[in-house]
Amino acid sequence: MFEPRPAPIVPAAASRRRVLVPLPAPAASPAPGRDELWLAAHFPRLPLDALLPGTRQARAAVVTAPDDPRRTVVACNERAARQGIAPGMGLNAALARVPGLRVEEQRPAAEAALLDRLGRWALQYTPAVSLEPPGAVLAEVRGSLGLFGGAMALLRRALAGLSANGLSASLALAPTPRAALWLARAELALTVTRVDALPGIAARLPLACLHWPEDTVATLAGLGIASVAELVRLPRTGFAARFGPRLLDDLDEGFGRRAAPRRRYVVPERFDERFELPAPAEAVALVEPALEHGLARLEAFLRARASGIRVLRVDLLHRARDPTRLSLALARMAGDAAGLRRLLRERLGRCRLEAPVDALRLRSGVLLPLHIRDAGLFERGCSADPEATARLLDLLRARLGHDAVFSVRPVAEHRPERAFRIAEPGLEAGLPVPWPAARPARPLWMLAEPQPLDGWDGTLVTGPERIETGWWDGHDVRRDYYVAMSRAGVRLWIFRERPPGQRWFLHGVFG
Amino acid sequence: MNGVAELLRHPALWRGGDAGAPETVPTGFRALDARLPGGGWPLATLIELLLPAAGVGEIRLLLPALKRLAMVEDAAPRWVAWLAPPHLPYAPALADAGLDPARMLVVRPRAGSDRLWAMEQALRSGACAAVLCWAGTADGTALRRLKLAAEEGGTPAFLLRPVAHRGDGSPATLRLALAAREFGLDVEILKSRGGAPARVERLPIH
Repeated sequence: MFEPRPAPIVPAAASRRRVLVPLPAPAASPAPGRDELWLAAHFPRLPLDALLPGTRQARAAVVTAPDDPRRTVVACNERAARQGIAPGMGLNAALARVPGLRVEEQRPAAEAALLDRLGRWALQYTPAVSLEPPGAVLAEVRGSLGLFGGAMALLRRALAGLSANGLSASLALAPTPRAALWLARAELALTVTRVDALPGIAARLPLACLHWPEDTVATLAGLGIASVAELVRLPRTGFAARFGPRLLDDLDEGFGRRAAPRRRYVVPERFDERFELPAPAEAVALVEPALEHGLARLEAFLRARASGIRVLRVDLLHRARDPTRLSLALARMAGDAAGLRRLLRERLGRCRLEAPVDALRLRSGVLLPLHIRDAGLFERGCSADPEATARLLDLLRARLGHDAVFSVRPVAEHRPERAFRIAEPGLEAGLPVPWPAARPARPLWMLAEPQPLDGWDGTLVTGPERIETGWWDGHDVRRDYYVAMSRAGVRLWIFRERPPGQRWFLHGVFG
Repeated sequence: MNGVAELLRHPALWRGGDAGAPETVPTGFRALDARLPGGGWPLATLIELLLPAAGVGEIRLLLPALKRLAMVEDAAPRWVAWLAPPHLPYAPALADAGLDPARMLVVRPRAGSDRLWAMEQALRSGACAAVLCWAGTADGTALRRLKLAAEEGGTPAFLLRPVAHRGDGSPATLRLALAAREFGLDVEILKSRGGAPARVERLPIH
């Protein structure tokens, strides 16, 4: 069906892998209606770049999947890759290769924020930008080639801009957005400007660049298919019957046989206004009328857009010094002034004015569509209003600070001090069932640091439980744990360091 | 009239009004339940536990009830709030005990005065299945506010204080003094609305 046709292929400049060389002027004019040229920027290390900007990646670093007992590596930097670490590896295997490895947990929110910034960056080349989560940005640049001095100059400029920001990217140009993505993911330093040139490069595209489900790729590999060229030679009807029509559409979109309209990236709208005070205010109470006014404006703004916000920044502007900045991060989306006012009052109440306030500035975070929740018909008297939990969280954090309120999660790890982590409070995440507890009991309280026990005269109740592990990452633990009883009758969890240490430490209290 | 009353007692009949919380939740210790009016911890009110030292066994005493209160499947999930605990609640041990750590909300206020404020907010919100707060001095007014907040939010409030406050007056519905023994926990019921002072020795907490 898809006949691979010979097509002009321009090989990469041999010296630098990621510098792309454009085609010489295309011989034939592009097909009517296909007069597009898409720039794809693929960011293979986005999970890492979102957490550690490139300049701070001097050490080998990896990002691991969250809530994964094996803690699979999802991205690693150049230095880690040179030492044999690759995505898909378990964290223990990675630590065994590089003991001093820096480990971060993947944060999808940070990645989305970075991709959003990249979308804004791409708007300098063209208004037709589209995001391809999780790790790519597309831009239609045919109309901008003249302005930037041709495809080559545009690519160079884009690459220079990205690497100046410490981002590792692979760029490609192709006449369809999907083909551009394939080329970028395959990291082939190739540029294709004509649709009829696409089948010619299909032989050089591995299946992995399609980002299809893993089992589909595995099945295809089992059939002896290694490249996209071999894939398109399969009979269409059989392919659709076996793998579904969606994947066939995917291929057709890539080769320009099917239109693939893309959603345009629009810079998110925000609220940002300044409110002058009639006279410099020296007390927090005098700021409130202006704040009231500002919140009413914000509420009207949000209502007109049927939106809510999760982040609100309030700057108290002074005449000759830096503004006092307050920031509210909400657990629940807010769209009404009343809720925000209550939280801001708590926050303002704790705030000391260093200088008179001349004006206020209110800035919202990203606007989010507000969902209207129906009141339940049979809500039980004792069960919580789903919003009550979020409201409580916001209220506690507004007064006590963000870090003073948290939750805990167990981590599958033998070292007691690493067998838990601090987590964002949230009621959804459940325990893996069944939770394995095939080991001696653990105390309900854990001390932040083991405390040395010198001259202690309690009694040992049970033990020892030997914990001897962690030699591979420098946090070596060699201890014998005992349950003991203090003279006051408190059950304690204590340990003795294995030779040569031999000292006793208190590590937990059974509560 | 009798017929209607009988009909209302039919087990298959579900009434909006009586889906509310029962009055008590069993403590999980038969010897203690027998001494408490209603056979368990009273719900939606203030309960004071006086401790000789943090860690004598107060959590192990409360665990069975916390499990009953927090791990309810059909209701909207709620938190167990730990306010100003002396140490960090240890997630693996909570999980071993059958309490999902995801339902734990730990609050560590910097100032002592924020503890009772946080407790009041947590109680009043109705977002918590139980609220535990470790506090020191608290005057009668503050305690009465907590009791009202507990009633308003329908949340049991466990206030844990040093045994030195044993002599202070308290509006709490239930006041217990705990003492650790070599095997188990001695519980002295100092005050119990609708019940009598009593002593329960060597509760088998594990």
